Amino acid sequence: MDAGRHPNITLLTYSEVEDVSGYVGNFKVTVRKKATYVDPELCTACGECEKVCPQIAPDEYQQGLSSRKAIYIEYPQAVPSTYLIDMETCLGNNPIACGKCQEVCDKDCIDFDMPDKLVELEVGAIIVATGMGVYDPTEIAEYGYGKYENVITSMEFERLICAGGPTEGHFVRPGDKQRPKKIGFIQCVGSRSKKYGSEYCSNICCMNTVKDTLLLRDHYPDTENYVFYMDIRAFGKGFEDMYMRSKAEGVKYIRGIPGEILPVNGNGDLKIEVENTLTGQLENYELDMIVLSVGVKPQDDSPTIRKLLTLSKTADGFMMEAHPKLKPVDAPTRGVFFAGCVESPKDIKDSVTQAGAAAAHAQILLNAGKVKIEAITSKIDLDTCTKCGQCADVCPYGAIKWTKGEFPELIEAACAGCGSCGAECKFDSITMRHFSDHQLLAQVDSILEEDPMKKLLTFACNWCSYAGGDFAGISRLQYPVHSRLIRTMCSARVQEDFVLHAFEKGAPMVLVSGCHFADCHYINANRQTVRRVLKMWDKLDKLKIRPERLQMEWISAAEGQKFASVMRKLDEKRMDVTQDEVDYTIEALKADKLKGAARKAAMAELKSPRPPEPVTSPPSTNGESVFQCMSCGHTFTGHYEPKEELVEWSCPLGECKSNSIRVHRKKAGK
Amino acid sequence: MKDPKIEVNFEKRKELEEILGADQVSYCYQCGACVGDCPSARFYEGFNPREIMLKSLIGDIDDLIQTDGIIWKCSNCYNCYERCPQDVRPVEVIIALKNLASQNETSPKEILEVTKRIRETGYSVPLVSSTNRMREELGIPPIKKIDTFELDEILKPDNEAEKK
Repeated sequence: MDAGRHPNITLLTYSEVEDVSGYVGNFKVTVRKKATYVDPELCTACGECEKVCPQIAPDEYQQGLSSRKAIYIEYPQAVPSTYLIDMETCLGNNPIACGKCQEVCDKDCIDFDMPDKLVELEVGAIIVATGMGVYDPTEIAEYGYGKYENVITSMEFERLICAGGPTEGHFVRPGDKQRPKKIGFIQCVGSRSKKYGSEYCSNICCMNTVKDTLLLRDHYPDTENYVFYMDIRAFGKGFEDMYMRSKAEGVKYIRGIPGEILPVNGNGDLKIEVENTLTGQLENYELDMIVLSVGVKPQDDSPTIRKLLTLSKTADGFMMEAHPKLKPVDAPTRGVFFAGCVESPKDIKDSVTQAGAAAAHAQILLNAGKVKIEAITSKIDLDTCTKCGQCADVCPYGAIKWTKGEFPELIEAACAGCGSCGAECKFDSITMRHFSDHQLLAQVDSILEEDPMKKLLTFACNWCSYAGGDFAGISRLQYPVHSRLIRTMCSARVQEDFVLHAFEKGAPMVLVSGCHFADCHYINANRQTVRRVLKMWDKLDKLKIRPERLQMEWISAAEGQKFASVMRKLDEKRMDVTQDEVDYTIEALKADKLKGAARKAAMAELKSPRPPEPVTSPPSTNGESVFQCMSCGHTFTGHYEPKEELVEWSCPLGECKSNSIRVHRKKAGK
Repeated sequence: MKDPKIEVNFEKRKELEEILGADQVSYCYQCGACVGDCPSARFYEGFNPREIMLKSLIGDIDDLIQTDGIIWKCSNCYNCYERCPQDVRPVEVIIALKNLASQNETSPKEILEVTKRIRETGYSVPLVSSTNRMREELGIPPIKKIDTFELDEILKPDNEAEKK
């Protein structure tokens, strides 16, 4: 309500963000203000319209436990204080089928012809605070949610015990409206589970249940309350105290998760059998009502927000912050900040704290008037540019604007420095500052200057693989001394000529390594890496060079063990590479660089001492593509469509699990 | 009183984890969801799948795989498989323990009788004349004796090892 009154704040309610364009400091946002069909300036929320409306729908605010009319106000304290019409439920406005509400409205504020309004905003910073959703436990058959009336979720509990709820705060069972005397809470429903819901802990459910037990004890001292838990996570300020108070009030905490919920007594009562793991005894409970303490999950429209603002998500589905410890409210995209549960599950105090931080960071940005960015950006040389537009295609941030026939325009403020455009440009028109072709090739030369046969040349991305190597070192894990890392900001920086140049200088093995798909710091740039490595394998194959000398692995910053084992595997392969092979490789790559007749002649002369082995694929059913693990040689079939978004591949063999997966596209007609 | 100090036997645990089915045992966080619906836990004193997982995690499985071990009370109903939030598959860990017992030659004699019968006749249940008489009365075709040569081929390495 304070926000609604503040002179510097404009609230756009009942609206959707439809489009975001631009870059930090200069965003253009298009917002659709949906039609409420009631003029908020005139409506006094008197409620006369509601009384005569013939249509009803489940009331979302009351968790579907009661109904509302087609013309309704979500709750009495809504800002702005106006009713609105849900056109889906209303009998219709074109033509007006009912119109009873309009007849009784004193203020004449109902307008069935009200259009949606599009609002254009120019903003400097964007804070995303779209919250989180709640897990629906219907899929957990053994709990019978949806089947047994007296099995409810924690959200429904809140409405039932709330004075503004469907029962005006009289806490009764949904089934027979009787007051329950024995209430059980089951924790971790849809959380901490590989099977149902999410694997993470939802943060708030333990303390929410503790609070609920205290509410019950306060209002209804004659109830017996039981909490069935795996762990009680009472980590915050005053939390342990609250937990102890709940126990002191006589709430029974039983460490054990019940099996099935079954009906008993034929009147809606429920029974469960549970092992009290602290005593090792099986116990039976007959309860009047069971509350499922449901976990939380990212909002359903999260993919839309991510697309609008070019944001990534972490493996749990929530938004990825720029740094998990040091930049918890910044998005990797400059100018965008996070507040609240959109970034990860948290309670009110932490959400408010984060909101303050996000506001402060946005303020710092806006106050400065100009933004300082790291100089690791892209530069397009328009003299050699051919206007092909491929660079614009691969930029994860849309920082390159290009229309057919025009030169591409790079918006430096939006450039994050991944290097994907630099790797994509076939005409060498793009320079990546601080990670130029010249600089990276010089590193390759330097590494392979002496004893190239002993080197494991690795391109490692700054955020994950290089850090993973660092971690392996700090953890004192042993791995071969022959590994040599070349750091790039993203694995998408690695272009074909780096790898071929390395082979031409005598490298026995080359490894391209980056972040896992869910974690790419540059949203999804590592998909480009896969595309390029697939092409490189095909090229090596054509030149009769064993493609398995090029490997690709996704190693995260925490995977020191994986880094060490990848290096060990790489070294084994290196020891298998012969000098003859390497000599031939150098010749073949030199010949490949020639043109016309000279090339033809040179290629005809080549004879590979160790040509690549043909792929023996398993029988392919229904035209599936053949995948080949370049690490262990295992082949398998699967779905691959070049135009589709790539998924992270790994070898299905347990002892291998390598990410070096080559796909042999199904040939047309087969 | 037994020595109160618990020593974890990692080798035993690794040995168990290598058997197919028991590879997920390290994910168990002892929530007890497997016990709530376990029919054997309800009726047999001392049978508790969560405890069996705990013993497997600390490598204390010697008592479990004896001929009188409690694992043979498992009814293979797969309720624990359905309830486990961590995909530990307690029933399959127990089957792996049963396999270990068999390797150790400490399976109960009743089990050995059944496996012997399968090898010799191809059936786990004894073929008696009354079976076919009843089937005739019910109008269903009789159970025939089967030639176990395929089974013999598959089990040849085991059979030869036994003869030695």
